[in-house]
Amino acid sequence: MRAPFRIIFEQRSETPKYLSAFVPLVSVLAALLAGAIFLMATGYSVGETYSNMLQDGLLSSRGFTDTLGLSTVLICTGLCAAFAFQMNLYNIGGEGQLYIGMLGGAWAGLALGPHLPSVIMVPTVLLVGAAGGAAWIFIPAFVRSRYGTSEIVSTLLLTYIAASVLNHFVYTPNSFFRAPDVTFPMGRTVADSAKLTAIGDTRMYPTFFVIVALALFLYWVVKRTEFGYRIQVISDSPRAAHYAGVNARRTTMQVMLISGALSGLGGATLIVGEFGKLDQGVLLLGYGYAGIVIAALARNNFAAIIVSGVLFSGLRVGGDKLQITTDTPIHIGVMLQGAILLFALGGEAFRRYRIRAVRMQAVAQ
Amino acid sequence: MNSNIWILTSANAFTLATTLILAALGALFTERSGVLNLGVEGVLLTSAISSFLAADSSGSVWVGLAVGALVGAALASVHATLAVILRANQIVSGLALVIFGSGLANFLGKPAEGKTVATIIEPLSFGPLTDIPVLGPILFRQDIITYGTFALAIGSAWYLFRTRPGLELRATGDDPATVDAQGLSVARIRIRYTMFGGALMGLGGSWHMLAQSAAWHQEATTSGIGWIALALVVFAGWHPVRLIFGAVLFGFCLRLPFTLQAEQITFIPSAFMQMLPYAVTLIALIALSRPGSKNLRGAPKSLGNPFVRDER
Repeated sequence: MRAPFRIIFEQRSETPKYLSAFVPLVSVLAALLAGAIFLMATGYSVGETYSNMLQDGLLSSRGFTDTLGLSTVLICTGLCAAFAFQMNLYNIGGEGQLYIGMLGGAWAGLALGPHLPSVIMVPTVLLVGAAGGAAWIFIPAFVRSRYGTSEIVSTLLLTYIAASVLNHFVYTPNSFFRAPDVTFPMGRTVADSAKLTAIGDTRMYPTFFVIVALALFLYWVVKRTEFGYRIQVISDSPRAAHYAGVNARRTTMQVMLISGALSGLGGATLIVGEFGKLDQGVLLLGYGYAGIVIAALARNNFAAIIVSGVLFSGLRVGGDKLQITTDTPIHIGVMLQGAILLFALGGEAFRRYRIRAVRMQAVAQ
Repeated sequence: MNSNIWILTSANAFTLATTLILAALGALFTERSGVLNLGVEGVLLTSAISSFLAADSSGSVWVGLAVGALVGAALASVHATLAVILRANQIVSGLALVIFGSGLANFLGKPAEGKTVATIIEPLSFGPLTDIPVLGPILFRQDIITYGTFALAIGSAWYLFRTRPGLELRATGDDPATVDAQGLSVARIRIRYTMFGGALMGLGGSWHMLAQSAAWHQEATTSGIGWIALALVVFAGWHPVRLIFGAVLFGFCLRLPFTLQAEQITFIPSAFMQMLPYAVTLIALIALSRPGSKNLRGAPKSLGNPFVRDER
């Protein structure tokens, strides 16, 4: 049996402007709708759940500042994913690079903190964290640029290894990173000079503005510099890049290291910010994985990542509070993230193609 | 040193290898058709909890396994829709499936957290064979799914390389334009095998959950097995029989930390033992992708590329 019509995909030569904003919006709505089905099927109230999430995540002043605070690290991991994705390099180990960034930041805060003033110390923690993230992606970057080893699987496997490393330093008795005199294993708080104070009575730190500025800077780098142009050429046409004498191997290395550094930086913002110590709790938060969704939703546009980062942060904050106020599982937030990404991907087809149903006879002619 | 514990580790390695083979075989069928589904981890998690809930409420593991396989196929159909019909980026779609799947699994699993399932799949009895020292407990005390899985891997090799549909499947992954010229529907073949692959992954996830009568503990239930399965496909050079050897090896590496812990071998920090399977996988992956490695010859040539007839 054959269908009486078939679906035709016509490549659009130009994407209408309205679709670029419309598609992400519709995908968020569609994901919320899909989430509603699961909520109803499991017996939770849809309206209450969503209105609570919205209220706690974006509309209340407490919720909004919490959201901006959390978005700091999420924008970092979003930038990490996007920086690699734009060159068709799929660094999905941002999660692990974040752990090592946190480890590096904690080391700097503990070892150097007592000797240096805050003005020098906070940037040092951030830089050491970024270096840690870059170091963690070095092997995948090296083998990817040399042998073409899939960076997808290698960065991901290293995330599991990074989690073990972090656990090791928190759980080992007498570890440099472990709080002494406490039986429960937890990280030692870094020196005061390595920590920032939150703005007012919020849970937001000044690092938020630094990271937003960084996102805008990267936007400029990619659009306006020779380095950004090189990335564009390699991703659009590796062959053309090769004939033009672009060293793809070196650029691959650079892009991946920068990507890792961005996630590492995100880990370090947790040290100067809300955590202030190496904390195994970060292993359950999935900030690095969220970055992939944020980058994909922003279609690797660094300025748009600020928006999608804040949006996602709101979803998380709202979802987390849900667990406390009602009995709805916290994971609805993660599920919605995945669903939004799936719908955004589907929507991408409508952006790129004009999709029409055509009668079979029309095709035959 | 207690030799029983090593025998137990080897027996458990085969148990774990079953999950790995099913998951990797699912990925292999999917990839042979030219579709890259990175969502294995998400499929494993979701099918594990679905099978748990189904087995728990029906009281039958077989219902659990069937539900798990169906859920796997359903999730894979989402990927197939995006990757094959809508021509979306397959890598991002697979990742989305992992995120969605783990969120969904934890959401559904909330009421089941820490609970164990009452019924388990009984090991088969081979009478006197089971009593053979060392080999008996390792080879002859497994259940029907384990034996079935090993047979399935061998059968898959025959199907892939000796039958007409197998040839069509391989051709779809290598050169879809030719398959299209033969009058076969590339999209239909790809969707079919992506869903079949998802069902195998789902079976693996459910079996992993139900065979050991383990408790449901969120991500700890699969702890990255899906990603190891994906690396295993590369390791095996996209050949089902070589998958078996890799899976047993990886299964052993994954069980080893527990054995060493039980043996109280503590000079190696336990954290380093926990990273062993991932490190072994990583090293194997790098070694196999070095130039001159014969392994990549099995790689489907248009893996991850959507087929667009008009553009050729």
